[in-house]
Amino acid sequence: MWCISNPAQSRYVWRMLVAALLCALFSALAAVGVRFGHLTGVAAYLLAILPALPIVGALVVTGAYLREETDEFQRNLYIQALLGGIALTLSMTTIWGYLEDFARAPHLRLAWVYPLFWIFVLVSFPVVWLRYK
Amino acid sequence: MKNRLRVLRAEREWSQGDLAKRLEVSRQSVNAIETGKFDPSLPLAFKLARLFGTTIEEIFLEE
Repeated sequence: MWCISNPAQSRYVWRMLVAALLCALFSALAAVGVRFGHLTGVAAYLLAILPALPIVGALVVTGAYLREETDEFQRNLYIQALLGGIALTLSMTTIWGYLEDFARAPHLRLAWVYPLFWIFVLVSFPVVWLRYK
Repeated sequence: MKNRLRVLRAEREWSQGDLAKRLEVSRQSVNAIETGKFDPSLPLAFKLARLFGTTIEEIFLEE
């Protein structure tokens, strides 16, 4: 289905892996800092933001990939999958918000929105791909 | 959009992979254009025209 077929895609995969590793590392660092550092105020805020930085970076990396991708068809497929991911994430989180308000559904932590987005992108990609098969 | 890519490619005995290599795109891209499921941008259409030594209008047909 989707495999690495040009240097832009190869760069994208590597950059995303680095972002994922940094996110894991910074999350561990933040967890340790909160547990043993007894941080408060600005220091606590800065530490809490730390794991989010590679996540923001991954979005920048995705934008860079779309700019660097020379195969316009592949770019088109990926943009459609991203749009699918955005649509599904917005729909799901909105529905869940109302379920929390009116049906006492368990609270969904906002930190889950980002991984959910990528799961929905993964779900969207084969659907988009099948349209062009 | 309908096109004559398959015919032009067959005349030169090129596979989709051969054409993809010459265009510097993926084979899936060639397949999607050839089957009319994806319309190429103007730059790619010009590249195709140059490659086949013809005009864009000779490759892509108005429906």
